[in-house]
Amino acid sequence: MIANLRAKFTSNTWTLWLVFLGLLLAIGLASGILIFWKGLGITNLTDLVPWGLWITIDLSSIALSAGAFSLCAAVYLIGLKRYEPVARTATFIGLIGYTMAMLSLMLDIGRPDRFWHAVVYWNTHSLLWEVTMCVCLYLTVLVLEAMPIIANFEWLKNRFPKLTAKMEHVHHYAPYLAIAGLCLSMLHQSSLGAVYGVLKARPFWYKPEMAVLFMFSAIVGGISLTIFASMLSARVTPRAKINDSLLERLAHFVGWALVPYLYFRAWDWLAMTYTYQPGRTEGLEVMTKGPLSFNFWVAEILLGAIVPMILLLKQSTRQNRFWRMAALAMVVGGVIAYRWDINLSGFLVVVSYLPGQPTVTYTSYFPSLVEIGAGLGVIAFGLTAFSLGVRYLKVVDHRYTSEAHETVKGEVPKTVLA
Amino acid sequence: MSDIQFSRRDFLKLTAFGAAAVAGTRLVKEAQASSSSPSGEHQWAMVIDQSKCTGCNYCTLACKAHNDVAPENNWNVVTQTGEVGGHQVFIARPCMHCEHAPCVEVCMVGASYYRDDGIVMMDYDKCIGCRYCEAACPYQARVFNWEKFEGKNPTVPEWGAPEVERRPRGVPEKCSFCYHRIDRGLSLGLTPGVDRDATPACVNACPTKARLFGDLNDAESEVSKILKNHVSYRLRDDLATGTRVYYLPADPKEMDVEVES
Repeated sequence: MIANLRAKFTSNTWTLWLVFLGLLLAIGLASGILIFWKGLGITNLTDLVPWGLWITIDLSSIALSAGAFSLCAAVYLIGLKRYEPVARTATFIGLIGYTMAMLSLMLDIGRPDRFWHAVVYWNTHSLLWEVTMCVCLYLTVLVLEAMPIIANFEWLKNRFPKLTAKMEHVHHYAPYLAIAGLCLSMLHQSSLGAVYGVLKARPFWYKPEMAVLFMFSAIVGGISLTIFASMLSARVTPRAKINDSLLERLAHFVGWALVPYLYFRAWDWLAMTYTYQPGRTEGLEVMTKGPLSFNFWVAEILLGAIVPMILLLKQSTRQNRFWRMAALAMVVGGVIAYRWDINLSGFLVVVSYLPGQPTVTYTSYFPSLVEIGAGLGVIAFGLTAFSLGVRYLKVVDHRYTSEAHETVKGEVPKTVLA
Repeated sequence: MSDIQFSRRDFLKLTAFGAAAVAGTRLVKEAQASSSSPSGEHQWAMVIDQSKCTGCNYCTLACKAHNDVAPENNWNVVTQTGEVGGHQVFIARPCMHCEHAPCVEVCMVGASYYRDDGIVMMDYDKCIGCRYCEAACPYQARVFNWEKFEGKNPTVPEWGAPEVERRPRGVPEKCSFCYHRIDRGLSLGLTPGVDRDATPACVNACPTKARLFGDLNDAESEVSKILKNHVSYRLRDDLATGTRVYYLPADPKEMDVEVES
């Protein structure tokens, strides 16, 4: 009787959740159509702030997908085999994240009909060219890595057993894919920071550590999201099964990784304090004292790094599932806040080109409704894909161990469920 | 089985090396192509004399008409920068046509590129509208077509007739030194900077002759001579962009002479 009621309740919440996501997707779709039809003129983007909310979503979803390459490298290259089921979750999240990034870029570019130019026409000097190449290749790697996961779909298995067997077989190449994924991700995760870091017209960005900070925050945020999403799924549905001790160890790693991240962030900020270069000091002030100061001090530094670092390094809070999840969510929020703040603090400060010492003026940006609507749509797409994955593809099943793959011998693949 | 394994590995290796080799050759070739300094017969440059500029904005209006620029977009911006000896001083800012143009360096598809004669060009058919160039330009020389420019151009016909196609929605645009006037003029045997039909519209429109245009490779051109004999400066020279627009600083003596005459 009770079990019956519970089943009813969970199926009802599932429907409600889908309806909610469907609503957001509809808003997103409507906004997207409006944007393609009317053009970017209906956004609040300007010539002074040409990149806004969508670029933040793009950068954040790529950064938060970094769990895929980090954990795959840990499992298949470093040999931490026990994390393999978690790497599986991370890979699926990565595939979703990169798709979200592509979607938000399609909204953002002025000529979405020419998106393919990015692959066909090359300017090898452009950081964005390099990022495009890496992202396209890495998306291919992710699709291959996710093949064995998608092969879990019952309907597909029953309908095309040969195809799913082939898809599962891709897992044999996991170590090679992990190498490719590691190289490509190291390149573009840091290059996305360098995209900003090479612009000498924007003194606040123009520094070598942009690449390093983007890379670091991506690894920390990506692993955090993987653990958080797994734990949340296990809380809301019996279909998700986690191995809590594995996730606790990973969370411990995140706690330690936050230490050097905070160290680099602190020096990044301290080193800029006394340069007094026009534009740079002002950019820093926009972040530390100006309109972005709450984001910076609270979302990025306090809640994004210091508090989760303490919560995840302290054994009692780390073992407490609530505090662990809270800490990981804070890290994720901190990475998103970092992308938003970095993008804006460079644009809000306008350095004049007039003769003499460059003077500084300020501009402002707040996303328009249609930007927020389309952004919500992209996020809802990610949540829908993950929810479906948990329900139908056993994406979060940390008892799951795949067949051995390091010996490439072409045995008949078999799935072992512990 | 082990045979298959070997051949597959070899195949993968070969493919990887092959792909790397192709990419490598292409990278080296492109690097060589773009690192070579401009080698064209002409090297166009503009000189703007701040002693003569009165801030009348005729240049902006002529530019809008000849290049069919939307009213809200400006390829050429005139700003008042201060006063010298009781006279207002202005600065007109077209595209600087940098020798090391940040916009060209960052453009992922190569839609911004250098011509042999130093003009920084936009290929509006290639551009995907990512706006990285806008973020990179230190001179705010680029304007994005947020909307489609439809309807009548208010500067036509008073300030001239459109000579180039209107740009589509979704790409940034900028001053091109009126490359079409230069090219057509040269093909007719005219000299840009001397013959009006081969000279940028803004230079022709200037009522005080504050703007000069010409070839830096030609020692006898007006721009070469004036840059040799006058103090000049360039905008944000500290960035080492190597701009092709030179400014003659406002000189109160010259400004007084003008008033007296």
